[in-house]
Amino acid sequence: MEIEKFVNNFKDQFIDGDEISFKLETEFRLIESWDSLTGMSIIVMIRDIYGVDVTDFEFKSCKTVLEVFELVASKI
Amino acid sequence: MNSYVSAISYYLPEIILDNSEISVQHPEWSIDKISSKTGIYSRHISGNNEFCSDMAISAAERLFHDCAINREEIDFLLLCTQSPDYFLPTTACIIQDKLGLSKNIGALDFNLGCSGFVYGLGLSKGLIETGQAKNVLLITAETYSKFINDDDKSNKTIFGDAAAATLISSSKKGVSGKIGNFTYGTDGSKHACLIVKNGGMKHRSLDGINIFDENQGFISNDNNLYMDGKEIFNFTAFEVPILIANILKKYQLNLEDIDLFVFHQANEFMLQTIRKRIGIPSEKFYIYLKESGNTVSSTIPIALNNAIKDGKIKDGMKVLIAGFGVGLSMGSTILEF
Repeated sequence: MEIEKFVNNFKDQFIDGDEISFKLETEFRLIESWDSLTGMSIIVMIRDIYGVDVTDFEFKSCKTVLEVFELVASKI
Repeated sequence: MNSYVSAISYYLPEIILDNSEISVQHPEWSIDKISSKTGIYSRHISGNNEFCSDMAISAAERLFHDCAINREEIDFLLLCTQSPDYFLPTTACIIQDKLGLSKNIGALDFNLGCSGFVYGLGLSKGLIETGQAKNVLLITAETYSKFINDDDKSNKTIFGDAAAATLISSSKKGVSGKIGNFTYGTDGSKHACLIVKNGGMKHRSLDGINIFDENQGFISNDNNLYMDGKEIFNFTAFEVPILIANILKKYQLNLEDIDLFVFHQANEFMLQTIRKRIGIPSEKFYIYLKESGNTVSSTIPIALNNAIKDGKIKDGMKVLIAGFGVGLSMGSTILEF
């Protein structure tokens, strides 16, 4: 699993994904366009692309993109 | 013998709740951001003294008038509602009387939400093709707004009230869609994900209290409509594509063989997620949400009516419809116009 591709897939789930940029350490819930629907979309993306089920509880425990990446990587 | 969707009309209450009003009521709510995702900018709300039967009658009268339908030809009335006038009698009986329909007809309510129109077509087809009826009047009517807590900005944003009247006949009339085979699905284990808990026999007392989260955001009140958005989203995102695959398999058709997809208009974000997961091109995916929102069992007939008016549905087209939601329940069929 390439971290760069993961970040792009993650970013694509934001409504303004083409305009925003963030680092692995960015706390994604602090991005202005973040909302709970974006979160649902990210969980669906992870299941579709990486074949991994992330629970709502697990997702909530992640603050940064890197933490989500590491969570997914641990399940593959 | 075949059954056809022969005519559709609908009624939206006069009162309009637009996003600016919701913003005034809930200044902390970024309504523009939410609207850009839900695709809903306004919704119609039933008046304080306007109930299921009133809206159902308005929709049916519009159908009789606009489509030049003789009410004496109706020989069965089906009403899909979860917000009936009374526990009993069946609201369909009241509607039979107020519409001046024959006394020699069958009339019944059935309790389904967002999948209700598809199930209503299935029931109508069964009545017609077993010789029990020739012209079924299927009405879908909901006043969900009366279930929604005033502090519940999420549900307030999504749901609107409406009624739709559809004539299902044994013969083709005008732009008619032949009703095909059905695929159904039910998962009652998730019934609590979308529920009005209090008021029925199990929890008779309306003694619910408002429950808020740590940021004073409304969570629920058992007297009101509760929706676990995440569970509903997951059900829809993952189960509806399977439903669609199953109906196509039943017909031995490919996705490309379908000319238009008209799904329950839950909200645009959810619809686009399903569309992408199934692989439906956007030009074949009909969306009608902007002015009426999620009207539960009426979204599909409202969308079909507008798709016909817009010229998106023409003779010779195969239109796949799918309803999914409360229950949890889902169903799909193909209409051949």
